[in-house]
Amino acid sequence: MQRFFIFLALCILSLLPALPAAGKAAPRADKFVFGLLMVGPANDHGWSQAHYEAGREIEKQLPGTRMIYIDKVNPADRPGITIPMLADDLIAKGARLIIGNSDDMKDGIREAAMMHPDVYFIHISGDDVLTGKGGRNLSNLMGRMEYGKMMAGFVAAMTTRTGKIGYLGPLDNAETRRLATSAYLGARYAWTHVLGRPAADLHFKVTWIGFWFNIPGVTSDPTLVSRNFIDSGHDVIISGIDTTEALVVAGQARKQGKKVWAVPYDFRGACAEAPDACLGVPWFNWFPGYRLLISQAMAGKWRPQFLWLGPDWKDINNPETSAIGFIRGSALSPAAAAALTRFQQGLADGSVNLFTGPLNFADGTPFLKAGERATDSQIWNLPHLLQGMDGH
Amino acid sequence: MEISLADLLAGVTATAAPLLLAALGETVTEKAGVINLSLDGTILLGAMTGFAVAATSGSLAAGFLAAAATGLAVAAVLSLIGTWLGQSQVAVGFTLTLLCRDLAYFLGSPHARQPGPQLLASPLPLLSRIPLLGPALFNQSLLVYLSIAAIPATWFFLYRTRHGLVLRAVGENPAACWARGIRPRLVQTTATLAGGALVGLAGAGYSLALKPGWGRPQGCEGIGWIALALVIFGGWHPLRVALGAYLFGFLQISTILLQDLFPALPTQVFQVAPFPIMIFTLILIHAGRNARGRKQRFLLRLFRGRPPAALGTTYRQD
Repeated sequence: MQRFFIFLALCILSLLPALPAAGKAAPRADKFVFGLLMVGPANDHGWSQAHYEAGREIEKQLPGTRMIYIDKVNPADRPGITIPMLADDLIAKGARLIIGNSDDMKDGIREAAMMHPDVYFIHISGDDVLTGKGGRNLSNLMGRMEYGKMMAGFVAAMTTRTGKIGYLGPLDNAETRRLATSAYLGARYAWTHVLGRPAADLHFKVTWIGFWFNIPGVTSDPTLVSRNFIDSGHDVIISGIDTTEALVVAGQARKQGKKVWAVPYDFRGACAEAPDACLGVPWFNWFPGYRLLISQAMAGKWRPQFLWLGPDWKDINNPETSAIGFIRGSALSPAAAAALTRFQQGLADGSVNLFTGPLNFADGTPFLKAGERATDSQIWNLPHLLQGMDGH
Repeated sequence: MEISLADLLAGVTATAAPLLLAALGETVTEKAGVINLSLDGTILLGAMTGFAVAATSGSLAAGFLAAAATGLAVAAVLSLIGTWLGQSQVAVGFTLTLLCRDLAYFLGSPHARQPGPQLLASPLPLLSRIPLLGPALFNQSLLVYLSIAAIPATWFFLYRTRHGLVLRAVGENPAACWARGIRPRLVQTTATLAGGALVGLAGAGYSLALKPGWGRPQGCEGIGWIALALVIFGGWHPLRVALGAYLFGFLQISTILLQDLFPALPTQVFQVAPFPIMIFTLILIHAGRNARGRKQRFLLRLFRGRPPAALGTTYRQD
């Protein structure tokens, strides 16, 4: 017993030299410090890493800026920790602008913005500016990923041999519905307009796991859901979640001789985990939006804005200018790639607008009449999935 | 989603494999009277180590060995502090699970979401073509075969060998064993190390086979607690522990399928279902143990099981 306590005391003593160093993290006054709150890990090869890398790019390209960040801001990793608490912490470390990168931070960011009117806040994927719930120091930023998802659906339908596409959805809300719907519309366009097949022969199944990534005991297991997709004949899986399980499972199945593919999401480097199964990845580039809003804050020209930034159609993968892009995967066939190029040209010049009626909701009620085009507001607030999609 | 029965069974067998290894490892440990609560952290640390070593060396075997060694090392710490220094096994195990979890995330960060080797299926000739059972049992990875073989092996060791008898005796009454010339601490240490190695192997089962790759979340968080519950559910008997592992695997898969059958129910109901069902099962066991009436005696028979008498207690040899 005595030996144990001596051992314990030695362990504690060995840690003491580290304590003064921990206390030295004082803010540097010469920098414009911006804080980033990320829902997942900074190296998730998905949503959070895309934000992290944009922040690092800001540090390189906007002289005088410095990023501080807290990742894994979610109920599973940090139970009981609130967004205002973390915002207080970042502000104490010198942050003059704070970015919250998840839709479920909406209330917390709004509250923190009200508590700190002299600090700027950016809420990613929210719409407080549109609804008038945010203050003068709060802006919203989002990319028009609908285009990216349309491309994902397009390549999925061009590739599938069974006509069955699985969509690995996170949780059911307006954002995820419009993204899943965009993927479906892209798939349906390829299936009917390019391949000339009847729409009824295309099966598009959506399964929601319950959150943006796997939390055991809280969400369905995305690995199992992906495997079930494959077992039930779906040969292309489109991921709507922040992590790469769909691609990993597809890659594993391919190694066992199955002809299956996947389309990951969020991060331009996501295909690297299983390149031979990857048809491409729709990716977010947060740098242009960050640069715009942070520059305005630094110059004292801040105003509350709702920014829903689209692709730079001249080069949708231009890291300087395009807010969303689509990196083609090595598993994409030359014929599908050529068709995708034509599809992208149609989207760019407006000759292809997939949110055009007639479109019905899944329960049969009309969404858009024949020839009617959806407004941004109708797309942003999409209340249900569309007819032709199998999902709950 | 429509899945054939053969695919469903194959999915259950594969899903349950690492959980089964961890639960059987804990069964062996607890049969010797030692409770190892570090399972959840050990599985994560084993998953990380296994993946990191396999990815770096390019050898799956090295990855699995490293994971087993990691589990063994964590168990050695528990054994040293719990069995030999006489501290609370529960406190040490719980602390270890938190330490191992954070170590896994911290040390594994450079390997997050990186491609790495994967253990693929090795179909057994002819047997894999048997309808229904072929895909479920004989078209699997070596890990699944190992997990299936571990069930009768563990049972045989515990109930049909002299060493197994000694191990169980130590778990019941270490003082009496000491009087008979057996060294209880040595037996407990051996059982803890063997159980820990199996738990570490289960970790690699996730990162190299079932959920290939490493990242946060890895997807096997919480599994260690389920394995601990399964040992109780199984009444410390390897066959019933295995049954529990397959039940949990079935629940995990079937709840995804049930979403289609009951579209009116919120999806969250199905997502959390396997966990409360396991808790409900534990309540049934408790009811079974306290059964007095005729109907209750049925429960007693169904869930009969008694923890080793010396479980969690510290044997002071002097």
